[in-house]
Formats: sequence, C-alpha cells, structure tokens
Amino acid sequence: MASFTVTAPKHYSLHSFLRSQSPNYTCHYPLLPTSSTSQFYGRPLSFSLPSSTNAASPLPSIFAKVSKGSKPPPFTLKDQDGKTVTLSKFKGKPVVVYFYPADETPGCTKQACAFRDSYEKFKKAGAEVVGISGDDPSSHKAFAKKYRLPFTLLSDEGNRVRKEWGVPGDFFGALPGRETYVLDKNGVVQLVYNNQFQPEKHIDETLKLLQG
Amino acid sequence: MYSLVQHKYLPSSFHHKVFASRPVFGRACIVYCSTTTKPRLNAKNLVIGPKAAVLQPVQPQPKVVITTDRPKDNDLSLQSTWSHRAWVIAGCTTLVISLGGSIKGAIDMHMWIEPIFAGWIGYILADLGSGVYHWGIDNYGDGSTPFFGSQIEAFQGHHKWPWTITRRQFSNNLHALARAVAFSVLPIDLLCHDPVVQSFVAMFAGCIMFSQQFHAWAHGTKSRLPPAVVVLQEAGVLVSRSQHSAHHRPPYNNNYCIVSGVWNEFLDKNKVFEAMEMMLYFKLGVRPRSWSEPESEWMEEIDMASQMEAQ
Repeated sequence: MASFTVTAPKHYSLHSFLRSQSPNYTCHYPLLPTSSTSQFYGRPLSFSLPSSTNAASPLPSIFAKVSKGSKPPPFTLKDQDGKTVTLSKFKGKPVVVYFYPADETPGCTKQACAFRDSYEKFKKAGAEVVGISGDDPSSHKAFAKKYRLPFTLLSDEGNRVRKEWGVPGDFFGALPGRETYVLDKNGVVQLVYNNQFQPEKHIDETLKLLQG
Repeated sequence: MYSLVQHKYLPSSFHHKVFASRPVFGRACIVYCSTTTKPRLNAKNLVIGPKAAVLQPVQPQPKVVITTDRPKDNDLSLQSTWSHRAWVIAGCTTLVISLGGSIKGAIDMHMWIEPIFAGWIGYILADLGSGVYHWGIDNYGDGSTPFFGSQIEAFQGHHKWPWTITRRQFSNNLHALARAVAFSVLPIDLLCHDPVVQSFVAMFAGCIMFSQQFHAWAHGTKSRLPPAVVVLQEAGVLVSRSQHSAHHRPPYNNNYCIVSGVWNEFLDKNKVFEAMEMMLYFKLGVRPRSWSEPESEWMEEIDMASQMEAQ
C-alpha cells in the first residue's frame, strides 16, 4: 500500500509540547529572593510579602503555583446567579475546582456536560463541583441553563484567580489552560490535572481520586 | 387527508439515503449525504417549509424538495467557458515550465534524489495546505469578505449541494485555483532555476490546482469513477470517498484535507484545528461556524427527482 501516514508517537502530544507549563514547584519569578518560611502556602519556594494579604501593597503579590499538598489562596467570586461565593464555603467537604477557557466553546461544553452526567457520582463521594472561567455571570447563567448544569459556575473576570493559582496557559499563553484541582475537606490540594483537548478525562481522573 | 412524511429510506437500488433534517424556516430541506454513509434518523428534525412541502397521501412517499436557487444539472454555471479554459491552460503552463525546469536542472546537475524528494514533500504539504485553507474558508467570513467572499460562498454552496461538484465541467471546476497557481508560480518560474525548488513548487502547486478534481472524485460513486482513480483513492494517494464524506456530516469540523487526506487523521486526532479555533477565538473574538448549529445555508439539500434521474 502506497499510503503514507503521519502520526504522533504515543508518548508525545502536540498540545502538551506547546503548553507553557512550569514544573510544579517552581516559583514564577525565580530570580527574586525567596522566603523559606512562607506559612501561608507551605512551600519553600514561595515568595510572599509580610503583608501579602494587604491589598494596598505597592508591589504585585507573587504566589507560587498551587500544587498538590498546598492550600490555594482564597477567592470570592460571583456565581451564575450573581451571588457571592467564597472558597471557604466548601470547607469540610472535598471540592473539585475546574478552570476552563470559556463558556460555549466545544471542549468546555463537553467538559461541563461530562461533569453534569457524572454529578451524582460526585455527590455520592460527598464532593462539590465548581467551574471557573473568565466569563461574566450572565454568560454562565445562559451556559448553565442551556446544558442543565447542576453545579456552580464562578466568574473570574480579569482572570485574577487563574493567575493567583498559577493555572498555566497553552500555546505560550494564547489559550487559557484547562486545569482541575481536587481539594480535600481541609482545603488541601490532592490532585492537579491539566488537559486542554481531552476534557472528559478531567472527570475520570477526579472521580478516580474521590472514589479511590 | 394528508400526512407529512417524516423520513423515508429509498429503495435499496438507490444508494443515496434520506435523512431527517433540522427545522429551517422558509425552506424545506432534508439532510442528505451524497456519498455512501450510514443513515441517521432524527424525526424531530423534520423540516416543513411553505414553499417546498409536498403533501402526500397517507402512504409514505419520498419528500421532494424544490428550491428556486438550486443549480440544475445542465445549469450554465456548471459549464466551462473559454475564460475558464484559458486560466487552466495558464496554470498548467506555469506548472509544466516549473517541472521541465526541474528535470532539465536535475539532468544538468546529475541529481535525482533531491528533486524527487522535494516533489514528494510538495505533494505531502499540499494536502496540509488544502486542509488549512479549506478550514479557514469553511469557518470564517462570508460573502462580503474582501477577496475571499466569492470562495466562501462557493464553499457554502458546495456544502448545501455537494453533488454539484460532480456535474461541473473540468475547467469550470479548476479555473479559480488555476488562476491562483498561474499568478503564484509564474514569478517563481522566472526568478528561480533551482531544480529542487522547482520540483517542490511544481508538485505543491500542481496538487493544489488539481485538488478540486480530486475533491470532485471524492464525491463520485465507485461505479462511475475511472478504475485508476478508485485504485488511487483506495491506496491513499488521493483523498478517499469515505474520508471526505465524513467532512460533509455534522459537525463539519474534520477531514478538511482534500489532496491525499494523509494529514486528516493526524490533524483531527491532535485537535489541531480546534486549537487554532480556540486561539483565534481568544485573540480575535471570532467564533468558527463549526461551533454553532449549522445554518440553513450550510445544510445539504436534496432534490429527489434529479438524484433519481442521475441514477
């Protein structure tokens, strides 16, 4: 057969090669002096100002990427009904926080519908599911209504929380990353999963952990 | 007493099957695939329109769709004009010059492997190029887009009436690409005399120019195609009928390459076009057509009478 096929080796995927991902434990600003006693994040490489929670600080707050074993920075965001939701609301039970690029895009729709279809399994494991993207609450409302999503969608307008958590972008930042965090009932991250183009795998991986 | 037909399989001797369609106001149409594919039924997507609905007695009958803008088999717009032929001749001339120059240069320089390899690379990359261009035209812009507007409309028309391409005469089908090739390759012919480059250009541009013919063959039926073409399709040298028919099924977002189709599996498996669509969406805010439900202008139409006649 004179056919010629171009296939990628199984261990290599185009999108993971082009993903701008830094290793899990590396600070985004390695040249700056680091503090070895950041108690807020518990990671030796994190850099934080003494008044890192002071919003009036003249320097930008720099946070280490949220990774397994760390407690992510708290957030307060609006949900699809315009209600304010804080991360601390979910303390006491596991929560799946999934960052996705945007409402009404093919991958994000597949992912949301996959979470919807497996929602009972998440409830059975005692976990909550929260989706976060940069869209506004009205976009989330329409998206949730159209696909009958039973869980909370939060508006991270300006992608502030995405940056604080250190969610890596894809294609050198051209695309917001698709990353899911599973927090245990103490608010500590137990799983970080990133996969832009196989959105349904996020559900499989998180359920594997929650049901395991 | 009337019943509006939901959907109907045609007799098995007729190899085109009828599918139910999506609702479209103002026009009745039935989603139809002009190549051999598995049938799909979705009764709730039946379209009834005021102009084209034919009310039948209770026995199920095929639904006939008549639209005023559907090209007829003997439509003048499908026939070649002398202008079309002139452009095809011009395009072919530039290709022959390029190929001839490459062969002459190869003989003079006593090299064979490099020009042949360059030609093969040209054939491979032409498939990729055809896919990227096809993806762009299918998903972005419309009839009012500068420069590309008429192409975009032509592609939309092709999705609506895919079988029309098999009715186009040769020069009619190829003249637009031949014109682009003539303008692109002529300066290269004049400026470049490297046999390796000329071989690449001849093969790349030649495959692009003839991609419309390969495309038309991919819409043909096995019994009506020249045997050599069928052999080449089945060998993967030319894009196959089954691979291309997948492109004509919703969501119309895959199998864009139409030279050999050799890139289709890689591009679709690695979601290359989806990645590009996402990047364009975030950078420019434009949504590709394939993300939305197909509009009426995109959906295939079937004219039962002419299809039965064609058989």
